[in-house]
Amino acid sequence: MGVVHGEQMVLNIGPQHPSTHGVLRLKVKTDGEIISEITPVIGYLHRCFEKHCENMTYDQVIPYTDRCDYLAAMANNFGYVVAVEELMELKVPEKVDYIRVIMAEFQRIASHLLALGVYGLDIGAFTPFLFMLRDRERILDMFEMTCGARLLYNYMWVGGVSHDLPKGFVETAFQFLDYFEPQIEEYNNLLTYNKIFIERTADIGVLPPEVAISYGVSGPNLRASGVKWDLRKNAPYSIYDKFDFDVCIGDGGQGSLGDCWDRYYVRMLEVKESVKILRQALAQIPKDGDVHQAIPKKIRPPKGSIYSRTETPRGDLGFYIESDGSPIPTRVKMRSPAFTALAVLGELSEGWMMSDVISILGSLDIVLGEIDR
Amino acid sequence: MIKYFRDIWESISTMMTGLGITWKHMVHIRRDNVTLQYPEEKWPRPERNIGFDHSNYNVIRSRLQVDIDDCIGCLKCERACPVQCIKIVTEKAPTRGEDIQEIGHIGVTSNSSRKAMVVTRFDIDMTECCYCNLCTYPCPEECIFMTGGPNAHKHPIDYEFSEFDRSDLIYRFAKPGTKEGMDKLKPTEKVKA
Repeated sequence: MGVVHGEQMVLNIGPQHPSTHGVLRLKVKTDGEIISEITPVIGYLHRCFEKHCENMTYDQVIPYTDRCDYLAAMANNFGYVVAVEELMELKVPEKVDYIRVIMAEFQRIASHLLALGVYGLDIGAFTPFLFMLRDRERILDMFEMTCGARLLYNYMWVGGVSHDLPKGFVETAFQFLDYFEPQIEEYNNLLTYNKIFIERTADIGVLPPEVAISYGVSGPNLRASGVKWDLRKNAPYSIYDKFDFDVCIGDGGQGSLGDCWDRYYVRMLEVKESVKILRQALAQIPKDGDVHQAIPKKIRPPKGSIYSRTETPRGDLGFYIESDGSPIPTRVKMRSPAFTALAVLGELSEGWMMSDVISILGSLDIVLGEIDR
Repeated sequence: MIKYFRDIWESISTMMTGLGITWKHMVHIRRDNVTLQYPEEKWPRPERNIGFDHSNYNVIRSRLQVDIDDCIGCLKCERACPVQCIKIVTEKAPTRGEDIQEIGHIGVTSNSSRKAMVVTRFDIDMTECCYCNLCTYPCPEECIFMTGGPNAHKHPIDYEFSEFDRSDLIYRFAKPGTKEGMDKLKPTEKVKA
């Protein structure tokens, strides 16, 4: 008995489709229901981010970085300002470092909550989505309290942050963490160990570590394949070396190493680690200090170039900045983690069924704003 | 065979766990309610100490406002804007720091700096504004601000910035008739000279 080959059919998913997380078009070649080839067509959200940067001063770029990965705007701000500060050899006050880490970790929780919730929604579980969005909302409230915005913050500036933490922020944050930690257990009971969910995700779309590395996949997607690589640990930036936390890796708990369930579960574990970091950071944050103290009057980095990378919720975000000594950057290149994650989709979904493609695509947690820039 | 029955058992038991959680929330529906009946009810604005100090600057659910009487036309906000949504046109005032009655121009700001320019046009296109707050920091007179800032008492705070017509979203802050008034003033100056 050989494999029966039917007629090849080309199917379009997107650009407007609820499971494409933005505006993404997938050209799917199928044989019956078996996928033989997937070509992602990107560019529907292209807004010339990199070209825009060549016409703006260094601080004007920051609102644009928000709009790249709009689900983790703080992390994008963080990556950019760290790069510019490295280029300028600027030292920021300790308090600013703490505030940045706190915001970035809260953003990681918020972004992962959305990723996990929406993943459940893709698979067909509606309730966890609502629960996770409810808790994400509380984090956004805290951001609003701090900087006035809920989604696009423009919070981290070169040399500082735009606003100091408001009075009572630390207490509110601790309150939230106390409320939030038991909730993780609830999510696990509701979705993670649900048999239907496991059947849809375990052993599906297995990403071997070698393939992940050769494609440049980073972040939770890479760690789910069992590679212990986290920039916060391996190449610490800001003050991440001060905190005690683990790098979570997938272990093939319900199927094989690097399947969709692992990619989902690594995010869940990372949320727990973020809570751990937050508890340490909130306890250690210096009481006083001016967050505007180190902000330069005019941002004029010396001639030269820098490549700096940070760990966003989606992975390894790099900024290459070239300066000619003027207040306007000559070139800003952004290395987007979601782009590489999408690139591996074709390899991942070959030979799987149509419904598994949605499962695989959701587990990669891509944001099209960042891919197209 | 055993796997078959184990799968069935696991499906039922995990489904029951999930339903239990949902049921728990349904029983505590009053306590766990997180949504609002929006048009009737509204979220309160998060509290923040409102002061003149920039560190206490409140930008929550606010939009740009301009006190045109304090504006000296230095164009710093226009340059700071990353999306170029602020358009300012200025003309030289006949005498520095003096009022021009005809167009309602006030020569001295509340920070008592004397104005050399008359602002004939100060438009902010709120359809383009990205609420980044970058323009408020360079302002030497603190005349451009997010509502809720130093002049909060002057402007009510509202977070539904909706209009029926798109052109209403272009906020024109310059006093109406300033441009025409300045045009009329010019020839008389020449006659005097």
